[in-house]
Formats: sequence, C-alpha cells, structure tokens
Amino acid sequence: MKNLLNKAIAIIALSAVFTACTNDEAAISGTGNLGVEFDNSFAGNDLILSTQPNITSNDEVLKIEKIKYIISNIVLTTAEGTVFTYPKNKSYFIIDESNPKSLIAKLENIPAGNYTKIKFGIGVDKAQWELGATGQGDFLLEAQAAGMMWSWSAGYKFIAFEGMFTAPTVSDETSFMIHTGQTGTDYNYTEVTLDLPSKAIVRSSISPIIHVITDLSKVIDGTNKIKLSDNNKGGMGAMIMGGATLPLITQNISNMFTVDHVHND
Amino acid sequence: MKNKIIVVFLFAFQCAVANVEVDSVSNFAFQKMEFFTDFDFDCDACGCSASGGSMGYSSMLNSNFVGLRYFKQSYTSKDGIFANSPWIDENFNTLQIWSKIPLGKKVQLSALIPYHFHDRALTAGTESIKGLGDASVIVSYSIYKTQKEEALFVHDLQLGGGIKIPTGKFEEANNAGTVNQSFQLGTGSWDYLLVGEYVVKKESLGLNTMLNYNFKTKNQKNYQFGNQFNYGSTLFYLLDYNALKIVPQIGVAGEVFESNKQYGEKLANTSGDVLFSKFGVEVGKEKLSIGINAMLPISQNLSNGNMEANYRWSINLNYVL
Repeated sequence: MKNLLNKAIAIIALSAVFTACTNDEAAISGTGNLGVEFDNSFAGNDLILSTQPNITSNDEVLKIEKIKYIISNIVLTTAEGTVFTYPKNKSYFIIDESNPKSLIAKLENIPAGNYTKIKFGIGVDKAQWELGATGQGDFLLEAQAAGMMWSWSAGYKFIAFEGMFTAPTVSDETSFMIHTGQTGTDYNYTEVTLDLPSKAIVRSSISPIIHVITDLSKVIDGTNKIKLSDNNKGGMGAMIMGGATLPLITQNISNMFTVDHVHND
Repeated sequence: MKNKIIVVFLFAFQCAVANVEVDSVSNFAFQKMEFFTDFDFDCDACGCSASGGSMGYSSMLNSNFVGLRYFKQSYTSKDGIFANSPWIDENFNTLQIWSKIPLGKKVQLSALIPYHFHDRALTAGTESIKGLGDASVIVSYSIYKTQKEEALFVHDLQLGGGIKIPTGKFEEANNAGTVNQSFQLGTGSWDYLLVGEYVVKKESLGLNTMLNYNFKTKNQKNYQFGNQFNYGSTLFYLLDYNALKIVPQIGVAGEVFESNKQYGEKLANTSGDVLFSKFGVEVGKEKLSIGINAMLPISQNLSNGNMEANYRWSINLNYVL
C-alpha cells in the first residue's frame, strides 16, 4: 500500500514537471495587423437587408435596405496604458452592410502589444473637414462614390440608414432615410471608447480581429426614442437629416457599439 | 514498477517535443480576414467534447478485452452570435479500437485508438472531416480488490494515469467561424488523464463508478482546450445462462468543461456541463461480447446555451482476454 502511495506521488510530481515544460512567450516587439469587424444587427438579431422586419419599442416595423457609416480616428490602448493612434490619414473607413469586404476595418503596422481598449469616431471630425477638399486625400472620392457626401460644402454623411417602415399610424410601407452629419447648429461627430472583453494580442504572427456588434435599433430606439411616424411629413416618407432630432440620433449612435469578443488568430 | 516506467517515459517524451516554435509570420492575415467576411462566418463560441469522455473505458461484463467500438454523438449548435443565427446539426462519428489489457496481476493498460468521421450542416453547405483521432494510453493499478471468494460484497478499486497523444489533426480553420470548437479530429495537444474506477458487486448486481480528469495543454496553434472532468455511475445486473451472459445496465454520466484558451486568453462561451442518462446491454458468449449503449441528456449548459447535445449511442464488439 505504501509503495502504491509513492507511485501516486510520483505521478503527481511528474504532472507538475510537464506543466513546467511549456515555453514562455517571446519578447513583445515589431508590428502586426489588426482588424475591426463591424457586425450589424438589430436588437440581438443579425441584420438581414430588405426582407427582415425589425420592430422597435414604439411598434414601428423597419425593413432596412441600406446601412453605411463612417468609422474614423481609431485609437488603441494597451493593458499598460500605452496609447497608439492610428495614422489619421489612413483612419477613415466606410462600413457598408451590402459590401462584405467593407465590414472589417483593416489596420496595418500596429506596434505589437496587448490591447484592451479601442476608441473610434463615427463620422469625420471637424478638424479633418476643415482641411478643405484637398486635405481629404483619397477618402473624398471614396465617400463620394459611396454616396456618403452631400456636397463638399455640406460635408460628409456620417451614417446613412434607409429603408421602409410601417407604424401603428402608418399602415402602408413608407420609406425612411436617416442621415447624420453637420447641420447649421451641430457638427454631430461623436466618438466611442470600448473595453475589450479579452486582450487583442498584436504580434507579427498574430492578427487579432476585434468583433464589434453594431445594434442599429439604437439609432432611433436608444436612449432617445424617436418615432419615424412623427417625421413622416405629409406621408412622403420619414426623412431625418437635420434639425433638433439629429443631435438626439447622434447621442443614440454613440451607444450602438459593443465588442462581443476578440479573435487572436 | 512497470507502469511507473511507462508514465515517466511518456512524460519525458512530451517535454522533448513540447518546445515548438510559434508559427512564422503570417503574411496572409488579411487574406484570412477576407476569408471571414466572404463566407460571413461569425465567430467562435463554444468548445465541448467530441471525445465521448464520459462514455467510459470499461465493459461491465469483462474487465479485460480488446474490441472495436463505434459511437455517435449528435449535437445542434448555433452558427453565429445572434438570436436569429441558424442552428446547425453536427454529427460526430467515431470508430475506436479500445482495449483493457492486463500487464501482470494488478496493472492494466487501456489503449484507445479512434478514427473519426464528423460532419456538420453549415448554412454554406455540409462540412466533413475524417481521419485518425488522438490516441490515448492509460495505465491503471488495482489498489484494492476483494480476494475472498465467499465475500458478500466484492470491491475493485483502480486508479491510473494516462496520456492522450496528438495523433489527430487540429485545424485552426475549423474553429474560425462556428460555435462548436470541438469539430476537430484532435486537440493538437498532449493531454494527461487521471482515471479512477470503482466497482462493487453483490452477487449478480453491480455498480461501476468512474471519474476521470483530463488536463489539456496548449497546442502548436496556441489553442488550449479547457480541462475536462468526466464522471459516471452504472448499475448493472448479470443474467447468467451458462453459455450466454446478459448484462443490462442503467446509469448516469456527466462532463464538465472549463473554458478554452487561445494565447492564454479565455474564449467566451466555451465552458459548460452536461449530464446524461445512459442505458444499455452487453451480451457475452464464450470469448466474444457485444454491447449497445444509448445516452440521453438530462440537463445541460454547453457553450452558454449555444450548443445542445441531443443523444449518443454506441455499439461494440469485444474479444475477452
């Protein structure tokens, strides 16, 4: 019996030995790539364009045909508090549900590190816009091609959210269009900071993807509840592109992003 | 003594090969990202067992045997992270050489060599994998065994340790999009097992209780499946018709999983537990026996509810040693 006990101890001791065999991590240096994936959804459901009825708390039913938004000025922070600001001239991305390739903002040459926080803007910041048309680089053409500009003087559309809706008071399918951007009184650019649920481990050999869920229900059904039917002037469709409602929507969209998880592949 | 030597040898071998290089620079990182979007894969969530861990390593009829066992595990899991993400069916099929060979009076060697053929019905089409799985070798030692023939209760307590060798292929891509992280032929890692089994018999009635714990290590892709605890208890009854022995059996079996990790970071929705009821029968004639078992879940919480075990069943043909 005692002999056996010795054997058991030997086995346990050996288990301790082999756990010590695993190799340690190499020193953190160099650069790597990182993707920020935007996964559009509506109140917990994956977004399906055009066909899927999406219901708000005001019993309005939205069929979303188009959703595009500009993501900009990405800033990453490591666990140690080191801040990395992605080069501003490369930090503008148009996320378009109808174009799967656009759903991942691809960042290159990120210093290797363990990132725990991401900050980004929705829209184009005023300082950038004030650089004038020549200061925009290629992004101006890109935004024009994507229909994310009104005109140079009117500026960028930060978010374009369009489709058809019905409401308790609107029985026929009616179009809606929500475009945010600057108005005479408000600039409406907003930024969000999100904590990552686990580290994004950037290395030359590891390209993490931060998987962000965008809950589009928040656009009109967030902190501020906005009825499309209230904006359906003369039954011609609900058009929200300016006025006092726009800052409310801007406040809403700053709360529509969450990080679901991080892949380190 | 022999078992100790084997164990030492296996552990030493593991240390020698564990020091693998991390993958060289991935130039294809962004192509990979495009791959994700092109196929609209959502991301990983769960990791639960395809090992059939709580199915046990023993026959109720014969303590020593070599045999062939087929088992099927049916799961349904969510292909995505949203409420409206589709549920897909996953079928895990395993053909396994299993054995429990005596090495002297008190020491026994269990060897398990699986061949897997799995499929799952993804929205984009059915995906299949097949090939050799991870082989396991377990050495167990009979700590206590009732020797007296006329004893009312006959006890047999065995403790052992083992190793699971990464003979099965681990494909990182299989974990790229979907919930069930166990859609793999192997874990890609050297894993270690601690096994305990206790059998008590009174005349024709017996109770077999087994516990085993799987320590899983990091594989070359820096992916580490969560440690797994398996347990089970089976009540069996021997109907002895001289030439023919029939052993009906009924019991419970459970599995508890810790979270999977990648680069040391815990992956969300990969832990879980499941408890099965199990029932079956073994029939033995001379040196041959045949067994059929079925398992149905009693309660489960796999992958935060994003995965459901439906059933398992197995059939085996053994040759008694």
